[in-house]
Amino acid sequence: MDAVFHNLLLGLDLALTPTNVLWVFIGGLMGTVIGMLPGLGPATGVAILIPITYGMNPATALITMCAIYYGAMFGGSRAAIMINTPGDASAIVSCFDGYPMAKSGRAGSALAVSAIASFVGGIVGMICLTFFTAPVAAMALQFGPAEKFSLMLFALTATITLSEGSVLKGFIAMGMGFMLSTIGIDGQSGAIRFTMGISELQDGIDFLVMMIGLYAVAEVFKNYKAIDVRYDVDAKSIGRVWLSWAEFKATIMPMLRNSPLGFCVGVLPGAGGTIATFLAYAVEKSVSKKPETFGKGAIEGLAGPEAANNACSCGALVPLLTLGIPGSGTTAVMLGALMMLGVRPGPVLFEQHPEIAWGVIASMLVGNVILLMINLPLAVPLVRLLKIPQRIMLPLILGMGYMGTYFLNYSAFDFILVSVCALGGYMLVKLEIPIPPLVLALILGAMTEQSFRNALTIANGSFGIFYEKPISLAFLVLAAVSLVYALRKHKKIVQMRD
Amino acid sequence: MNRKWGVLSGLIAAALVAGGAQAALAKDWKPQRPIEIIAPAGPGGGWDLLSRTVQKALTEEKLVDRPIIVTNKPGGGGAAGWTYLKGKEGQGEFLAATSPLILQNNLLGKSPLTFHDFFPLAALMAEWEVVAVKADSPWKDGKAFFEAMKKDPSSMHIGVGPALGNDDHIQFLTLTKEFGADPKAVKFVVYPKTASEQIPALLGGHIQAITISLAETLEQVKAGKIRLLGVSSPERVPAIPEVPTWKEQGVDFVFPHWRGLIAAPGLSAEQKKFWNDTIAKMVKTPTWKKSLETLEWDSFYQNAAAHEAFLGKQDVLMRDSLKSVGLIK
Repeated sequence: MDAVFHNLLLGLDLALTPTNVLWVFIGGLMGTVIGMLPGLGPATGVAILIPITYGMNPATALITMCAIYYGAMFGGSRAAIMINTPGDASAIVSCFDGYPMAKSGRAGSALAVSAIASFVGGIVGMICLTFFTAPVAAMALQFGPAEKFSLMLFALTATITLSEGSVLKGFIAMGMGFMLSTIGIDGQSGAIRFTMGISELQDGIDFLVMMIGLYAVAEVFKNYKAIDVRYDVDAKSIGRVWLSWAEFKATIMPMLRNSPLGFCVGVLPGAGGTIATFLAYAVEKSVSKKPETFGKGAIEGLAGPEAANNACSCGALVPLLTLGIPGSGTTAVMLGALMMLGVRPGPVLFEQHPEIAWGVIASMLVGNVILLMINLPLAVPLVRLLKIPQRIMLPLILGMGYMGTYFLNYSAFDFILVSVCALGGYMLVKLEIPIPPLVLALILGAMTEQSFRNALTIANGSFGIFYEKPISLAFLVLAAVSLVYALRKHKKIVQMRD
Repeated sequence: MNRKWGVLSGLIAAALVAGGAQAALAKDWKPQRPIEIIAPAGPGGGWDLLSRTVQKALTEEKLVDRPIIVTNKPGGGGAAGWTYLKGKEGQGEFLAATSPLILQNNLLGKSPLTFHDFFPLAALMAEWEVVAVKADSPWKDGKAFFEAMKKDPSSMHIGVGPALGNDDHIQFLTLTKEFGADPKAVKFVVYPKTASEQIPALLGGHIQAITISLAETLEQVKAGKIRLLGVSSPERVPAIPEVPTWKEQGVDFVFPHWRGLIAAPGLSAEQKKFWNDTIAKMVKTPTWKKSLETLEWDSFYQNAAAHEAFLGKQDVLMRDSLKSVGLIK
């Protein structure tokens, strides 16, 4: 334990040099701005800004890149809350309650709680990274294809419980998501599936394009009828970017309990922020005394996932620092940049360059404090966006949505795709089919399928592998429980209606 | 009437002068506009790194006097970026990063494009392929491993990524055949996220071996967590002097995972000469050599003529091994 504190002090020593603090500030600010633009997530943000790290010493470079990464995480939820356009997949969940909060005049609280939750998540994640890196990395190795499949099954069934109204409609949405996820080239056999001869579909449907369509553009369709309505928002409540005591009390537990969850999910190779945020949302909804407020502006539904998301990004650094392999797109970019500087992260990094490894960990502490200081004041001009009348705001959202789409793949085909998704999304809303299970199934579909097939290959075709392994069995039981819970809850609602 | 003729003859004269100027330029062509290097994948991968390294070397060594930009065009396993390059017919300012995937995509029917559709400019660097097992596993070399495979193929699961039909997969198929086991019986487990899933799967004991490029395993080897059974290089690699090549183990198999550059189709002889000469100069510069060293890449330079011949041979080798397991007909 003493050694850990000694190392952490060593790291703080490095992180608190004026140059490094300055770069954390600059990196954090730029990351925040990039994260706010739809379609430009943390991975692209770090990639764009890599040139500024040329000529830096490796420690400063890594610290700066981490700051950009965190900044983009902080920024990602801003667009989700203000204009219902998630900056990347892990910000989808922030739309669920963040946007309704903003619409009902609580944008200030929403922005404040997302910044504070991100901060708490980042700090808890950092603490986990300091003390539990070794045991958590060992745990992650236990996750084979069978465990991964069961985890994803659990994440998916938990999402069904999120859906409003009919469980059946939740399943329909999930089925559609799965079907869409099969489009493209199958990695196992090389077969080209359901592309209708369109070569742009060979890589499958980019879920970010789908999301911009389903959320942002569909939102414009939904509000088109009310284009001349002016929201009567109270200027005073907009100006206040802080939490009331009651709001703080309601959100502190969600933040604290979902941060370790997010961290653990982040460590698993290939799982990432999307699963972490969806699971956190499911957790909050199922422990809430007022689950019916979720999706209509429940502040816990925003706080939990935000904290989980940032803790998850700390978790994603575990495989990078301990195994030298990137756990997410962003850490892959960071690995590439570090190699150009002549440093290779990996199991020997802590021994050969302890000052770099611990400096980075300590700089996250500094970075999270600085980002909180950047993000709270930044929210004040942001909330003024709400004063913009719909007739100006809607074209703006439309423009940003299409621009973000183009940034993703530089492909004009995606314009067609985003428009089709928007029309589809509008129809789903009219049919009261929930969108979250569809999006999650689309994102996890390919991974779920591949894990299932890999598990069976390893077991030489025996299904026993799914229930003979304890971790896998545990997730299967959890999946069954959440399904029964959803069905019973649904039955109650139906009874109440009668 | 006179005026009309005057204008016309003036135009003709201007056209002649312009034509003449162009002819004069063509003798010794140089890029006229900013140069674009297309990395046909997202940021962070091998193509992106190669494009940026070339950009750095050409700029810092002042081998071209126009600015160079790197653009990422991900999609279709490279096809999106290469299709874009194909549209730049005759324009010497466009290059793209390439790798064996340009052959494999075509062989597997994923893309109609192949190296004949471009000017294959050069191969630049190579990484070598390895087969890795856990450090505490019983197999010490290729022979012991493939003997075990011959006895009970169903107990040996091999991790490969991101999809079948790539270099990693072809290496393992060829080795299986050469060591006398049945390539069709190999149980491959496919990891779409490559090393980030393969290495934890190996360390966690979920699979018995992985076929992968050397660089991805170096850190684990240094940490003593995994063992390499052999490497596909012609001679032992300095970073891992204890690992024998496949050749030393009695298998005639040298297999580079190379990356290089292609240029737009339809270039003039002068344009081709400019780039061939420039790249030949670039690979000799200190900036380029230093980058190779820090990135732990082996130099694998082939000029345009040598590269085209090499591509032709590789195409045949890959076609045969993919055919042998029925991935292509």
